[in-house]
Amino acid sequence: MNRLHPLSAVTNALQRGGIGLSVPFFVSTLASVFEFVDVGWALVLAPVGFVLGAAYGVAYYYRFAYELTADTFDVASGVLSRRTREIPYRRIQNVDVEQGVVYRLLGIAVVNVETAGGGDTEAVLDFVGESEAKRLQRAIRQRTAESAGSRRAPSTTAGDDQPAGWIADSTAVEQTTGDAEPTEHRPTLLFELAPRELLLYSLASFRPAAAAGVLFLAFFASGPILDALVATARPFGGPAAFESGSIRSYAILTALSLAQAIVATYLLGAVYTFFAYYGFRLGRAGEDLVYERGLLQNYSGSIPLEKVQSVTITDNPLQRAIGYAGLWVETAGYGPDSGSGSQSAVPLARAGRIYRFAERFSGLEKPTFERPTTVARRRYLGRYAIVAGAVVAAAFVVSLVTPIERWYLAAIVFLAVPPAAHLRWANLGYAVADEHVVIRSGFWRRRTTVVPYYRIQTISTRRSIFQRRLGLASLVVDTASSRTFARSDPTIYDVDLEVAREVHDASRERLQSALRDRTSSDDGGVSVAFT
Amino acid sequence: MERLDPRIRLLWVVAALVRTAVFGGVVVGAAFYLQTTTLLADFHSLLLWGAVALAIVLVVGRTVVAWLRYRVWRFEVQDDTLYIERGVFTRIKTVVPFVRVQHVDSRRSPLERAVGLATVVVYTAGSRSADVAIPGLTPTRAEDLREQLRRLAIESGGEDAV
Repeated sequence: MNRLHPLSAVTNALQRGGIGLSVPFFVSTLASVFEFVDVGWALVLAPVGFVLGAAYGVAYYYRFAYELTADTFDVASGVLSRRTREIPYRRIQNVDVEQGVVYRLLGIAVVNVETAGGGDTEAVLDFVGESEAKRLQRAIRQRTAESAGSRRAPSTTAGDDQPAGWIADSTAVEQTTGDAEPTEHRPTLLFELAPRELLLYSLASFRPAAAAGVLFLAFFASGPILDALVATARPFGGPAAFESGSIRSYAILTALSLAQAIVATYLLGAVYTFFAYYGFRLGRAGEDLVYERGLLQNYSGSIPLEKVQSVTITDNPLQRAIGYAGLWVETAGYGPDSGSGSQSAVPLARAGRIYRFAERFSGLEKPTFERPTTVARRRYLGRYAIVAGAVVAAAFVVSLVTPIERWYLAAIVFLAVPPAAHLRWANLGYAVADEHVVIRSGFWRRRTTVVPYYRIQTISTRRSIFQRRLGLASLVVDTASSRTFARSDPTIYDVDLEVAREVHDASRERLQSALRDRTSSDDGGVSVAFT
Repeated sequence: MERLDPRIRLLWVVAALVRTAVFGGVVVGAAFYLQTTTLLADFHSLLLWGAVALAIVLVVGRTVVAWLRYRVWRFEVQDDTLYIERGVFTRIKTVVPFVRVQHVDSRRSPLERAVGLATVVVYTAGSRSADVAIPGLTPTRAEDLREQLRRLAIESGGEDAV
């Protein structure tokens, strides 16, 4: 049995000691409200709390053990209530190594072992030595591959003591599963994010989540930020001071502040992306994809090719304009920062390159997209008109209770309805290929998802009242994944009922035949080369 | 195509009535409370009648929907898949291949036991339709269906989904 890094005993002891120290103070503050406890007691009890907490922290270290056995990864933890986990290697989805700045200086790392299902990471080793983390990652990867291989075809494997160097050969690899060679546990470089691409990716990706960071900043420095906002709005007719101003000047201040908040969100998102994807590289080791990224916070991880559920190509309008796109792979586990099983395989590269990679990755022949009929566009026209009507109605209600008058000016939003409906329709597409179904949708963040038939879990045809009236249907092709609110299932929206029926039946038949093929042949059929 | 036991209508209508009674009670209660205050004094009687009308519409609407749901609900155990049709407003036709079935439950809530019905729940590894429930079965049919699905899931074998 192995223990965590000895340093983790120290940090654990300090951390829990700190909690133990603060508890008496916390309790005495609460109790002093009722005035029956002297605060002096807290001073006596605090050291006792610290000692108890520290002892618990040290005990936690001594009671935490992990081990790589022949076919399971075992983790035993817990001081008072014990918990022993045995994770079969073939159930492991991906293994991630995470390193913050301080962790890198100290040469330590956190290892996360993910499995499918459940609400969180299956095993967290917080923390082990850097070399131990690398060793674990490699060993688990290798054993996962072995257990997968032994189910299909026997394979020979090498020891896990090879150097972790990457082979910088981007032309070679056309390996199929089963023919294991000693070199296969050293990653072969498939893709490296060039500085130019990193910069483009940072500037051409929008992270609405960064708004939380901006709000956080605004919360802690509200005084100076408010002053700065008022100062910048003044030349444009904003109020002279925050306390005094007319409705008009406040409106100008609000509009300008909102614009600044959006710009700040964009910049913060760009900076975050830059730091998170600095030095990104993707490689292939045996039957796994391995990646590394991050400037301050360092991530490295492995994605078993066998566990890939679907492949998604994403792009936003800006990226489309400059001809770039990104590639994501979905597994059923949890990813390090997306909160779902979706992980970036290639953050950003020329669209042609991305499509070639996706084609090689999934054995996909170039898809010819078909589009829903124009009836679907009519539906969106109606839908967005209802939304616009609601906006106008809201403006009318606002005009009733506030001095704002010309509420009918809100009708200007109707102008946006036809283009919005057209863009939504124009970016829809689907292709039913021999081995995959390809689904595309979205304008602001367009996703083109490639789902192999053998990964389909359930197929549903959905028809709302409006769709029934127009003779349309949506087809939901569900794959295995952990439950998230952010991710939506791959859906072919608003195709003709006849088409939906055909695709429904075709997917269903091909799932069965693909599964029969896969059980009869021992070839996983996955091969990766990046050109 | 197999249909549900007609008694499920009773169950659904009772459930709909309980839910709308709670919601309607809150809305009408709030309207009554508002009358004791001076807030929005001009609209008091209007709000009260509105709340009562809303509650009545909800009660009638949900009862009708519960009734219609029975007419729409259908399922069939086919060669290699379980086929389900449901949904009053959004009609959903789902196909669950037996290969993808992770496990099968049959369960009976207190209300179901009172009426003498049972539900079979089929779990897959998928995200949205991860658990497909077939309500309104007689207990013996539920047991049979569960056994049948279990057997078919094992027979279809196949590799792991994830």
